[in-house]
Amino acid sequence: MASFNLINFFQEEFFLPQLVSQTREELLEELVQVLYDRKKVKSKSLILETLLKRETLGSTGIGKRVAVPHCRTLVVSEVTIMVGISPLGIPFDSIDKKDVKLFFLIVAPPQEESNLYLPILGKIVELLRDSRIRKSLMKVKDFSSFLNIIQRG
Amino acid sequence: MARSQLELLVLYQDINLMLQEAEEEKMKMGFQMGGIEKLKKGRDELASKIEPRFLGVYKRLSTRYKHVIAPVQKGTCLGCFAKLPTSLSTRGRDDKSIFTCEQCGRILYWIE
Repeated sequence: MASFNLINFFQEEFFLPQLVSQTREELLEELVQVLYDRKKVKSKSLILETLLKRETLGSTGIGKRVAVPHCRTLVVSEVTIMVGISPLGIPFDSIDKKDVKLFFLIVAPPQEESNLYLPILGKIVELLRDSRIRKSLMKVKDFSSFLNIIQRG
Repeated sequence: MARSQLELLVLYQDINLMLQEAEEEKMKMGFQMGGIEKLKKGRDELASKIEPRFLGVYKRLSTRYKHVIAPVQKGTCLGCFAKLPTSLSTRGRDDKSIFTCEQCGRILYWIE
């Protein structure tokens, strides 16, 4: 497995602690809009459609109020992670049917020299299985507190 | 807004790669993967919107390459790393027309 430090993939501009969306579609659009505004994706509509197709395969809501929407798509040029927190929770067709409060969106190009997409995805899923970390992350209000929790994990 | 043929091909490739990965055990990681047939149906509906001549090119290339559509960055085809003519880059960025790399034959998609 490629060596990496997960912390290096989080950026404040891709951290949204107060999501306003109320549905799965709105949530994906809210996150993708930021990627588009920061010129991380060439086409907002194409990446949205690819993410929704991924949800067709099976919801990325993994339960315990956490979802990790992800996809590979040609419209991004590098692995990028967005973190979003919804204080009220959003219906996401999760495995346990509970509304989701914590979102990690991961996008990557199909051809990726560093080959980090799968290790990053795996590391995040592993991290979020820890109930202590999960619950702390759902309460964070600022980026530095978020990083502290990730670092301790 | 109607999608261009190139955009449809990009989506088609993204879904095909998603389906390939869904079959791999390492991709599961606790995610639900029960919708493979539904996704295949969606992929086939998408394919029906792609002109047969373009879909034919895609399918022919897919026998040679896992990634039929190559991103273009800084004027370079990232499929084979050949430098592309400047005139091609100017016309290729709008996603309206389909161009192929003169060296490797892959369909080109400008990502910047």
